Amino acid sequence: MVITSPLVGQIVDDLEDESKLYAQSKQVNQFFRRFNGEEDEKGKRYYPTDRQYQSPKLRKNYLGILFDESNSGISSSLKTEFVKSVLDKGESSILNFHGGNWFSEVKAVFTMNGISQPITLYMELEKDHLGYKWVISKVHADMLDPYFKRDTTKVGRFLHPLSHELAFMNLRKAFEKPDSVSQFTKKRFTPDHLSIFLYEVKKGNLKFKSVEQVKFHFFQLDGWYFELSQFNRPGYNTGWLISNLVKLNTDADKKLLMAYLYQ
Amino acid sequence: MYNNYYKIGLSLVFTLVATSLVFSQSGEISPKRKQAIDSLALEKVRDLSKYISIIGNKKTAFSEASRVMDRAEELFAPDSEMGVSSLNSKEVKYYKVRKYFEHLIALNYDRVTIQWYDIHYISDLERQPDGKYVGVVTIYQRFEGESDDGLKYKDTTKKDITIYVERKKTQVSGRIIEFWDVLLGDIRVTETSK
Repeated sequence: MVITSPLVGQIVDDLEDESKLYAQSKQVNQFFRRFNGEEDEKGKRYYPTDRQYQSPKLRKNYLGILFDESNSGISSSLKTEFVKSVLDKGESSILNFHGGNWFSEVKAVFTMNGISQPITLYMELEKDHLGYKWVISKVHADMLDPYFKRDTTKVGRFLHPLSHELAFMNLRKAFEKPDSVSQFTKKRFTPDHLSIFLYEVKKGNLKFKSVEQVKFHFFQLDGWYFELSQFNRPGYNTGWLISNLVKLNTDADKKLLMAYLYQ
Repeated sequence: MYNNYYKIGLSLVFTLVATSLVFSQSGEISPKRKQAIDSLALEKVRDLSKYISIIGNKKTAFSEASRVMDRAEELFAPDSEMGVSSLNSKEVKYYKVRKYFEHLIALNYDRVTIQWYDIHYISDLERQPDGKYVGVVTIYQRFEGESDDGLKYKDTTKKDITIYVERKKTQVSGRIIEFWDVLLGDIRVTETSK
């Protein structure tokens, strides 16, 4: 039961159809099993000794129900091509929980000095001692962006090329105006939000509040990227479903998409 | 009522000992063992379901509900929490398990019906860095509350329940017996419909 105000009244109607709950991909784990053809329609697991285990027929049936049907952005021809590609590749298109090349994007809310701030955590599985754990690989916080903005097309402020002869005494002037201090970094400098995030948490300024959304990004299948999201809504097309699908023709496509996803 | 959960406790102990005989020395979990552990985990989850139904029942006396809460708490690893979200709000609210039960008792309805769907899903078991195994059991609960003045509330919630599986040793009649123990952990409660 969701703990909520007892004053929120609702009219009781018929019991929800249980078959909808069976149809739902209830856990990411179940998405993996369905994608790989490793369970029956009731969720009972097949093992390698079972005849049905990873059978192309079973996989074909499941692949048909693992897409978010409300997303018209994924064309039916692209879906068909993806399913054909997965089935043609057989064993090499089996999703592997420990296989790497997939990560989670967690949209969370923290409070910074008491004010709510959205922060995205990028998480991946890492082997450690006897098992595995989820670790934070990267962080993006919108609130930090203004501090790193700079216009590299203008000449702007700089330390002249003979500053070293004066033992960089002109650094005093460089740091005089905090707003323009980022102009003195190298062009290719990219800020690392994770370090600042850890610093602020340890200083006690940044406090965790809640997780708002979780998604997964899969690059495990050669030539394809797909996004996995959770859909909590009425009907049969619910739970963990493919919410985005992109065909990657070249390595450059993959790098570009990774850069986009990682901001 | 007390007899019911006393029996549940007894059956648990029996299952624990019986299951212990199935396992060998290896740390790996074979499909057969996984199935045995699944049964044990499901039994704990069913116990929790029964306890919640007893705690939520308005006919249950407070003293009895309090004893059931103690029993229910014993199913959990220390510091376990419930993370609750509703259809109206994405924000997850966190409650210690005991607080969640206490809130259930304090609900302002005259009649409460808690039903469980005959459906569950058990994940694979994954090994953590400390060697313990962790899994997730998903179940669905139907809640209906009604007040004498005709006010009705109902919801269906999905409960994703963490299970920790650990190899332990115990001494029975001078013999060391190894067994796999299951404890419940954090529970994510998501409202799926009203």
